[in-house]
Amino acid sequence: MQPKTVISGIALAAAMFAANAQEAKEAFIVGGVVPLSGPYASLGTAMRKGVDLAIEEKGQVLSKPVRVLWEDTETKPQVSVQKANKLIASGASMLFGDGASIQTMAIMPVAAQRKVPLIVTGSAADAITGANRNAFTFRTSSQIHAETQLATEFVKKRKMKAIYIVAVDQQQGRAAADTMKANMDKAGVKILGVDFTPIGNQDYSLVIDKVAKSGADGVLVVTAGADSSTFLKQAGQLKLGSKVKIFGVGFDDNDAMAVGKDIAGVNSVARYHFSYDTPANRKFVEAYRKKYNEYPDAMAGNAYDGMKWFLEVVDKTGSWNSEAWVKAFENSAPAASVFGPRQMRACDHQAVGVGLWTEGVQNSAPLPAYSFKVTDTFQPTGLYPECPKS
Amino acid sequence: MALVLNGLSIGMLLFLLAAGLTLVFGLLGVVNFAHGSLYMLGAYAAFEVVRWTDSFWLALVIAPLLVGLAGAVMERFALRPLYARDHSYQLLLTFGCILVIEEFTRMVWGVDFKAVSPPALLAGTTEVAGSVVTDYRLFIIVFGAIVSGLLFYVIEKTRVGVVVRAASQNSAMVSCLGIDVGKVRTSVFVVGAMLAALSGVVSAPLLPLKLGMSFSIIIDCFIVVVLGGLGSIRGAIFGALVIGMSRALGQVYAADLMLLLTYALLIGTLIVRPEGLFSVRRRSA
Repeated sequence: MQPKTVISGIALAAAMFAANAQEAKEAFIVGGVVPLSGPYASLGTAMRKGVDLAIEEKGQVLSKPVRVLWEDTETKPQVSVQKANKLIASGASMLFGDGASIQTMAIMPVAAQRKVPLIVTGSAADAITGANRNAFTFRTSSQIHAETQLATEFVKKRKMKAIYIVAVDQQQGRAAADTMKANMDKAGVKILGVDFTPIGNQDYSLVIDKVAKSGADGVLVVTAGADSSTFLKQAGQLKLGSKVKIFGVGFDDNDAMAVGKDIAGVNSVARYHFSYDTPANRKFVEAYRKKYNEYPDAMAGNAYDGMKWFLEVVDKTGSWNSEAWVKAFENSAPAASVFGPRQMRACDHQAVGVGLWTEGVQNSAPLPAYSFKVTDTFQPTGLYPECPKS
Repeated sequence: MALVLNGLSIGMLLFLLAAGLTLVFGLLGVVNFAHGSLYMLGAYAAFEVVRWTDSFWLALVIAPLLVGLAGAVMERFALRPLYARDHSYQLLLTFGCILVIEEFTRMVWGVDFKAVSPPALLAGTTEVAGSVVTDYRLFIIVFGAIVSGLLFYVIEKTRVGVVVRAASQNSAMVSCLGIDVGKVRTSVFVVGAMLAALSGVVSAPLLPLKLGMSFSIIIDCFIVVVLGGLGSIRGAIFGALVIGMSRALGQVYAADLMLLLTYALLIGTLIVRPEGLFSVRRRSA
């Protein structure tokens, strides 16, 4: 390469960087790092919709317009890191994302090193606010531990004597199964079997047969995405629900639509649901439907709520210092959350609030033909892990 | 008994998919990476046909025809100019086709999961030796057996099969006999695409339809083809049944070892007989 070409390239890059830096002062820039392609594209797409609506409603932060730069992380952790760095170099004041927990954990060190707050609204691994937590990462959505506790409360409430566990064979599935086993031991509930199935499993027929023959009162399913739909679809065809109560920690409306009428009577923890009746949620659902002509899913609801909450806090500080935002976000509570009262714990940067429990139902228009519906709520006490000692 | 029936149904589904892949490789020499995407396209086409007509049976006919048409376009305008070139060009091209088909699917059907229900006739269950098996699974076994029999008959016993096999061995000689080799190749590719689509349609009532649904199953499909031997329909049947039964056994006795069992089989075959258990022996001059 000619020296002249190299110098021109450096000059062009410097000019672009200067332009971005200039823009950073003229706008509050949100760096959105979400999967818009790959297996979790649907998660990123919904998160983007929720954030766009929150920003549209907020209008300005620190007397500057808010602008979002979206980057597709392709559901790959290494791409997430590249894109997070790119966004910070482009002047992002904060980061938002990612989809899968492994991707979020990949960008957390970037946020901490560059002192740029990262708001997590879609990843549930306990480690995000547990073993891997850092000063600049906050999670405004739920976590696996809390969801497993909710499932435990459900088992107790239904007075089940024995359950079966089917979990995806990865860290989250095994962690949830271990927590559940410990909880069931304490509650005196027998575990009649535990099966770990590979991610992307195409066939559950014989696992379902084992559950049906086990004599369990219920089956806890710890899967996500297409695996949940596949299990529920095949369980419905084998009429498992007529013998055993099916409940999970990761079922959502997408599963309901993929499963159809067999979703009726299936229960699940919900990370958010449009049917939860709070004034803020009613307002959000109405605005979301007006903008996108559909009901928000858990990813969209959490993204909207988390982003709105953080921007409110930033605005109140009146400062462009990211450390001041972090300090202010700790122990804060949103003015009006879709979940009702919530608080951000300073000890681990985990938001705590009410836990939602849902049941699959068939609806009539304008609601989706099949969806979940909030049937019960659980108070936050005891749902979340205790604050870490150091 | 339930284990055998479920193993057979998994095997037959894999066979339908692997048969097209092995056919295209054996007869055209093309490793079609986009075969899984054609499977996905078949499933989505079935969803669309069922949505319009409320008939799974129509979808079973129309979806493979639509995907076969897409296969014809792909072969005629993309693959044909590359037959004379190195295999790496074909690999890159079919990889590019995956991206195009995925993006097309995203634009038309979006990223939400879609569902296809089994036909009312097959929505029930049957009790076999104390276990419940869906009627739809029994249908898959019968349907897979019929398709495999038909394929085997056409390729091994008919004049069409002789021409196709001859074209794959020595296309110049076949051309000298007045047969349009280009048309033969297009036809084989279309049949391969239709088999992929057929597999997609048959899978649709069992699985949620989603972008990227091809990625997990196409790995199994390649394992089937490697086990059975590239280019062998008989091998595809054998490989599919072996994988199907290993998956069924895995589900019952060690669900977390299912993948390990499958890959151990693959590695064992590659060590003992790298050309596959039923590879087509080619005569050299």
